[in-house]
Amino acid sequence: MSDFLPKQFFQFDPLSLFFLFVIFIVSLPSAIYSFSYLKGEYSPAKIRLSWFLLTIFVFSMALVVSVNNALVFLVFWEIMSLASYFLVVFDTDHEKSIQAGMIYIVMTHIGTAFLIAALMLMYKHANSFDFSAIKSACQVMPGKTKNIIFLLLLAGFGTKAGIVPLHIWLPYAHPQAPSHISSIMSGVMIKTALYGIIRFVIYILGVQAYWWGILLLILAGITCLVGIIYALMVRDIKRLLAYSSVENIGIILLGIGMAMLFQSINMPYLAVFSLIAGLYHLVNHAIFKGLLFLGAGSVYKACGTRDMEKLGGLIKNMPQTAVCFLIGAMAISALPPFNGFVSEWLILQAFFLGAVNATGGIKVFLVICAAVLALTSGLAAACFVKAFGITFLALPRSRYAEEAREVPLMMRMSMFFLSLLVIVFGLACVKIIKILVQVAGSVMSVDISSMHFSLNNFVLSPQSGKNIYFSTPLLGLMLLVLGLAGFVVYRLFGKNKAVIYKTWDCGYYKIGPRNEYTATAFSKPFRIAFGFFLLPYRKTQKIRESFYHVKSFVYETHTTPVFKLYIYEPLLELVFKVAKSVRRMQLGSIHLYLGYIFITIVLLIVFIQKF
Amino acid sequence: MYGIILFTVLVSTYLMVIAKRMPALIRGFRYQSFCLFVFTWVIASGHRQPDLFVVAGLLFVLKVSLIPYLLYQIIKKIRVSEDLGLFINPQLSLVWALVFTYLSWVFSVSLLISHETVLTSMLAIAFFIVLAGLFLMITRMSALAQIIGLLVMENGLFLLASTVSGGMPFFVEIAIFFDVFVSVVIMGLFVHRINKLFTHIDVNKLSRLKG
Repeated sequence: MSDFLPKQFFQFDPLSLFFLFVIFIVSLPSAIYSFSYLKGEYSPAKIRLSWFLLTIFVFSMALVVSVNNALVFLVFWEIMSLASYFLVVFDTDHEKSIQAGMIYIVMTHIGTAFLIAALMLMYKHANSFDFSAIKSACQVMPGKTKNIIFLLLLAGFGTKAGIVPLHIWLPYAHPQAPSHISSIMSGVMIKTALYGIIRFVIYILGVQAYWWGILLLILAGITCLVGIIYALMVRDIKRLLAYSSVENIGIILLGIGMAMLFQSINMPYLAVFSLIAGLYHLVNHAIFKGLLFLGAGSVYKACGTRDMEKLGGLIKNMPQTAVCFLIGAMAISALPPFNGFVSEWLILQAFFLGAVNATGGIKVFLVICAAVLALTSGLAAACFVKAFGITFLALPRSRYAEEAREVPLMMRMSMFFLSLLVIVFGLACVKIIKILVQVAGSVMSVDISSMHFSLNNFVLSPQSGKNIYFSTPLLGLMLLVLGLAGFVVYRLFGKNKAVIYKTWDCGYYKIGPRNEYTATAFSKPFRIAFGFFLLPYRKTQKIRESFYHVKSFVYETHTTPVFKLYIYEPLLELVFKVAKSVRRMQLGSIHLYLGYIFITIVLLIVFIQKF
Repeated sequence: MYGIILFTVLVSTYLMVIAKRMPALIRGFRYQSFCLFVFTWVIASGHRQPDLFVVAGLLFVLKVSLIPYLLYQIIKKIRVSEDLGLFINPQLSLVWALVFTYLSWVFSVSLLISHETVLTSMLAIAFFIVLAGLFLMITRMSALAQIIGLLVMENGLFLLASTVSGGMPFFVEIAIFFDVFVSVVIMGLFVHRINKLFTHIDVNKLSRLKG
């Protein structure tokens, strides 16, 4: 059995190492965070169980990205899914967790079914599960098979990554898991699906037709917009973060899809550049989404609720958590000089560069994609103004929020660490891109030494020769200096007449927390603007004592769950319809069942003549 | 020589297909098994293989004597009507059986590369017996017919194995004999229980148990 030596199942090429880095950089602080987070919430036996599951989860993810055999990949992929399932349903007291876990495990297995189909097709052509053997077999594979494999892989990994409309499990499963698990799931686990797309589609299969890239870009664009619009609508802070993960997966996929597009129309320089941008956003999202989930977890731990309408004013009681959450929120809204800004800027630059250099319809298409990304970034900023403003500012809206206390040191340390990373990844972008060039080059199998990315020590200029320069340390310094200057000017010449008054009172008189701006109110303009998609509706109900005397009036506003209503419900209907017609065959007669077998055999005998 | 014995196997199968009552069916099974026994014996003496003698002996002991005896015991014990309950009457059954014979002939011609008549007809008959067993299971209401149908199928498989591949390994053969015997005992018990519970062994009526 020399075929099964374990050492030949592993490979540590730059792509694997990059993903290993992403996995451990988020998992480690999350694990440390869970020391304090779990204490007091669960019994000691359950905490031990949680550690056990966490270890399996993290190591299965690490193995998923470092094996070089498709079969072993599937095994670890499945272990990862199961471990995360058990972590989602960890809160067994809540019925919602069980429900969320159910949706998650069903969706993830549908995805795995697609993956198995794709990998089996590959195996059929390569006669081996080894990545390098499959890769060489893919060079001579007929185009039609390649297309089928690509679509299967996209559906399989898309389910795990949460591409719209396969995202439905994400907003259920991620909020229900314990927060450190949400941070790993959202930060890292869904990225393993992106690893799968990069590894199998770009590296092994090789991009064949340019419509692959176009398809991925369209899906990614839709994913971005849908994710962020839903994130704007929800009240549950962890659910908001989960929807925002959908959005960010879309942004990363914009980078990856663009890389595929450029590769197929033979622009290797731009392909590598787009992939760098995508990978950079991937690691950035892992860091700040991990940070935000840990922050939301701290809020949950301190207040016992995730409903933003019941929070508020936490910045006074939990200043350190608030600062960390603010840093994460600024990074995810792509504000300079943090890391989210760099990667989204790079993706936008890639779009513009592509639009300048491409010809024909692709030019227009790329500009539209850039517009989608810009809109997404704007909405993301609005979304996180809401998330931070409603949760941490204003007056406490409930007793829980009033009595909130700062979380233990160990939880804060994890958040500090990730906040530091957010800043470091923003300021040291030039160095990081130099590393990412190696990763992207090895994936694309492009000779990168001839490429000129014109990186100076602190200055980045992707459009070489076009005088577009960019440097985060400089920008950060500028913001700092300008801010200080403004402050000094204000201090020297401004009217020193400040009146300290109640929070968010707007000069009115005696306004309580119930009069304040709420999350629902904040998102109202967006609900109107995107009404064509969200289809908001109202429900009113009169509660009367007698017919003439209306005692009170109930008013509710909802948005229509479009994907549930128009995609999944017809699908379910179809399944039931088919099941009903199949039932007609099943009469409970043994003779009939035997007859089916018999008829099948006879038909097979008759049919064998044809071949 | 082989041809004659196989022909008798075929005829005994037709006998079973047109049987209307349980004893006739069991008798048909006994004939068929006996013919198989003779067939195996002839092969064994032709090839001088001690293994095959043992197999033939087992065939005689189990399928010719013990299993028919057990089946007779069952119908005596449960005292239901001896009618098999035919979905398709004997004449039509025979017509169908002839159609299946033709089909399996066509099948074996297309399956084998060399068109040697003896081998082709061997395969055709073996395959036909499997089909006939299944046919019996489907078109007879009594649970007993299902047992015998299964046994007939097993006979067909035995013939298939011994004609096409020159017999299965000795131990496999022994194991199958044992399996068949045990399954007859178990199914006999089942039939007994069904009869006790519902006072009949009409499988067709079992569909009422469905929710």
